[in-house]
Amino acid sequence: MSDEMKERIKAIAASVAFLGLFLLAWNVFVTAQNGPAADMDPELAALLGPQAKGQSALPTPGEVGAEIWSHVTNPFYDAGPNDKGIGIQLAYSIARVLTGFGLAALIAIPLGFLIGMSRLAERALNPYIQLLKPVSPLAWMPLALYTIKDSEISSIFVIFICSIWPMLLNTIFGVASVRRDYLNVARTLEVTPLRTAFRVILPAAAPTILTGMRISIGIAWLVIVAAEMLVGGTGIGYFVWNEWNNLSITGVISAIFFIGLVGMVLDLILGQAARLVAYAE
Amino acid sequence: MGALSNLYDPDEILWTGCPCGLHATIYEHKAAVEGVDARGRFYAAETTTGGARTGAAPGPMDALSDLEPPARASRDLDWKDQENVLANLATSAVMKGLFGTDMNRRNFLRAVGGTTAAAAIASILPIDKAIANIVEATGPLEKTALNVGFVPITCATPIIMAAPMGFYEKYGLDVSVIKTAGWAVSRDKSLSGEYDAAHMLTPMPLAITSGAGSAATPWTMPAVENINGQAITLAMKHLDKQDPSKWKGFTFGVPFEYSMHNFLLRYYVAEAGLDPDQDIQIRVVPPPEMVANLSAGNLDGYLSPDPFNQRAVYDGVGFIYKLTKEIWPGHPCCAFAASQKFIDETPNTFLALFKSILEATAFSSDPANRADISEAISPKNYLNQPTTVVQQVLTGRFADGLGNVRNEPDRIDFDPFPYHSFAVWILTQMKRWGYLEGDVAYSDLAEQVYLATDATAVMKDMGMSPPTSTYASYEIMGKTFDPMAPEAYVDSFAIKR
Amino acid sequence: MDARKKILKIEGLERRFPAPDGKGETQVFGDLWFDVKEGEFVCLIGHSGCGKTTLLNIMAGLDKASGGHVLADGFNVEKPALDRAVIFQGHALMPWMTALGNIDFAVASRWPGWSRDERRAQCQKFIDLVHLTGSEDKKPAQLSGGMKQRVGIARALAIEPKILLMDEPFSALDALTRGSLQDELLGIVAARNQTSFMITHDIDEAILLADRIVLMTNGPEARVCEIVENTLPKGRNRSDMHTHPNYYPMRNHLIEFLVNRSKSFKQELAARSYDPKSPPTVRPGAPSDRPNKVAS
Repeated sequence: MSDEMKERIKAIAASVAFLGLFLLAWNVFVTAQNGPAADMDPELAALLGPQAKGQSALPTPGEVGAEIWSHVTNPFYDAGPNDKGIGIQLAYSIARVLTGFGLAALIAIPLGFLIGMSRLAERALNPYIQLLKPVSPLAWMPLALYTIKDSEISSIFVIFICSIWPMLLNTIFGVASVRRDYLNVARTLEVTPLRTAFRVILPAAAPTILTGMRISIGIAWLVIVAAEMLVGGTGIGYFVWNEWNNLSITGVISAIFFIGLVGMVLDLILGQAARLVAYAE
Repeated sequence: MGALSNLYDPDEILWTGCPCGLHATIYEHKAAVEGVDARGRFYAAETTTGGARTGAAPGPMDALSDLEPPARASRDLDWKDQENVLANLATSAVMKGLFGTDMNRRNFLRAVGGTTAAAAIASILPIDKAIANIVEATGPLEKTALNVGFVPITCATPIIMAAPMGFYEKYGLDVSVIKTAGWAVSRDKSLSGEYDAAHMLTPMPLAITSGAGSAATPWTMPAVENINGQAITLAMKHLDKQDPSKWKGFTFGVPFEYSMHNFLLRYYVAEAGLDPDQDIQIRVVPPPEMVANLSAGNLDGYLSPDPFNQRAVYDGVGFIYKLTKEIWPGHPCCAFAASQKFIDETPNTFLALFKSILEATAFSSDPANRADISEAISPKNYLNQPTTVVQQVLTGRFADGLGNVRNEPDRIDFDPFPYHSFAVWILTQMKRWGYLEGDVAYSDLAEQVYLATDATAVMKDMGMSPPTSTYASYEIMGKTFDPMAPEAYVDSFAIKR
Repeated sequence: MDARKKILKIEGLERRFPAPDGKGETQVFGDLWFDVKEGEFVCLIGHSGCGKTTLLNIMAGLDKASGGHVLADGFNVEKPALDRAVIFQGHALMPWMTALGNIDFAVASRWPGWSRDERRAQCQKFIDLVHLTGSEDKKPAQLSGGMKQRVGIARALAIEPKILLMDEPFSALDALTRGSLQDELLGIVAARNQTSFMITHDIDEAILLADRIVLMTNGPEARVCEIVENTLPKGRNRSDMHTHPNYYPMRNHLIEFLVNRSKSFKQELAARSYDPKSPPTVRPGAPSDRPNKVAS
């Protein structure tokens, strides 16, 4: 067994040990809060929840695990417009994210290209980009709902508008900082501007652009949860809101788990894509 | 009113509200001049006759019944042609728009003569088209698949339970009831047309129509959902402060600015001598977050819809200090609301929806059905609450958080009738607290938005017993509200803006 | 007189830049006149700062002259063209393409109509020529500095240019690698009768490679001081070049220029006549050259 393998196994073991300790601490923390069951009139007791009878408001890891498991084993049930399985909700959210993110990429990359190639355009537009970039998705939402008058398109628009900036800025930066040498090579070879764009500038700027896309998809995934909590209907954000509406901490924690999981997968996918276009000078 | 009148007769009285200004209330005016039947501007019942008014249910209107004019059977029996009635209704609406007050109309008609006026008005206004819309209200459904929004609280019970219990289906509708995160979203989705109709708070259609908090859009409120059913919940740490005079510095939550919750809380603390804008802080908090905020100490209490009062008790973080029925017995809370556009464009669909809501509301009102309803609306698809919590709210047998099990069968009730006087009261409070400024056309706005006359007609048609008048007087914490003197009512408060 | 065609002519070339203080302009060089004949290898030596790279960029068409012009095969140079290939100081290989990909990019630009196989054959020919057979599919990052510049050379030659322009192509390499690449370049250029122009500050490189050496004085206002004809016969190689009797006269003359005359050219001009249009030609070590030589 190579040293590399040994290192890896050690890291995994440490990860598992860390998780175990965390779950144990969580369990102890919750059970320690559970007081003795109060002596109560049975009729009254039937009207009250476990929390009013001395139980902790926090679920134990076991309860959360069971909840997650119930979602994993039955992800696609459909019990009406307001109650669908987590698989369906995630699919709605992912579809919205990919649409908004895709549209943003479709605009940000060509636009960033044009701006990046012109020093003047870059200087002229940069203040606006910097101004719009930090605007919170929740600030866009009312404007979108009011002007677009469709909550589905509004949430896609909000993803679009929030995920466009990192891609735009990184594309501009990537294109503007393509080494002069590469462009000179293309010029001495009388390469057409379009071919230069696709064969030289795009691959040269690709790692920077991909970094922007990776930041953007992370933002898009953050935004969709917030947007769906606001407009409701479908999606993982609505799912969280619905659990919160029921004050179900167990449900909220399991939803957090799934949100994190999908966010990680999206990041991994773009990380792999970034590897494909990476190059060493 | 106009449905059976010659609208071009200057001596005919067309609209409610004292039109001549000589009488304190419309009832006095009617008694003095000549009573006319109240007819909806939207709905014309196929079978209405002059005797339809008999057998009105006893209710808060009893005190006023002696003001009601006798039925004018002779004229009612002249109705041969339903279309004429409908045409008259539409013309009445147009003329109301044209003249504003009955005085104007009559002066105009006296000056130029009825026939000339009819020709002149017909030449400039599309009365034919307006009539056509209403005539079609007896035709087939324009569409059957509808989206109706609701906020997951027990006030929405009739709107929600109509789905699982088949009331929409009965009227040929395929309704998706869609859970909505809050009233601002419900309003925005209604304004954008995503919802055909929605569960709103009774003040919201007035606010939307008058442009408070959103762009002014004509909105209507065909029916109230529930009466009573809210409560003031206080955090457990305030067990010793069960007296509003001890609330100085408290932070309270209400679900929305344009809500009965806000207005009732303000009214209640003001009666105890606290200025709701100075002595306490009122925050708009989404209902589910109220419980968490109460538990975290961010709120000292809230006046919120159920099940979140009961939920605070269930979770042991608060106690029910006062049910709102103890402040104003029979106050309205939530409503079934739709845009004027929806009614104009799809009148038959609207009528079917209206009827299913009315029937569902009547069903919800029967205490015998409450346990079944609790079972039907508690699952995740609807309220997403423990059934026992919902059941305690709906049956009125509940734990109050102080160790008692209380029995209040009328903790919440369901009564669809959208009294114009409800709207006037709400408008007086909006005026009182500065949400509306300048002169408020109280009864005009109330009658435009609250479709009480239509509700009367439809309810009669369905064999229900609507009240005989759309205006009523209320006694709230010992203070009398006269809907005919709203401005004086506003002025009578010591604490106001 | 050499009867070969003058394939590259520099006529009165001048380049000015805005002065650093923002007022007026500084002339980097001016009144440059020289030429490169068909099949000839010309080196230009001078200190850093005399505008050597700027001059090469203008010749390539990548930069614009402020005055005068460059004629390539009779045509005024205004922009880059495929008849003038450039080997850059840093190899300027596209790091995301393989060695083969870099060369193919050039070949495909030169002959857009060629099929894949035709292009591949052309690429392979030049890969073999620079002894990179077997490294076709390696990315530049996997190649050593010398190998990278070999790819650069192959890329420039593969488009079969009329003129090969080189901007200190070996300056970044270690001495051993530089030597072997110089040998190879010399062989290839001689075998193909490739017209070449190279900028360098390495005297031995100039003596080994060049038929004529253009001496450029220090900037600003750099001028062509004189043109040195290489008196070592063709067929030079690094191993025995230094044994030729003319080697040291050549070398000393060039060192003397770089160390002293490049700085004091203005005073020198005061003592003699100078026609910028035909700078003096010197042949160090050749007996017939003596009379022409400037007295020192």
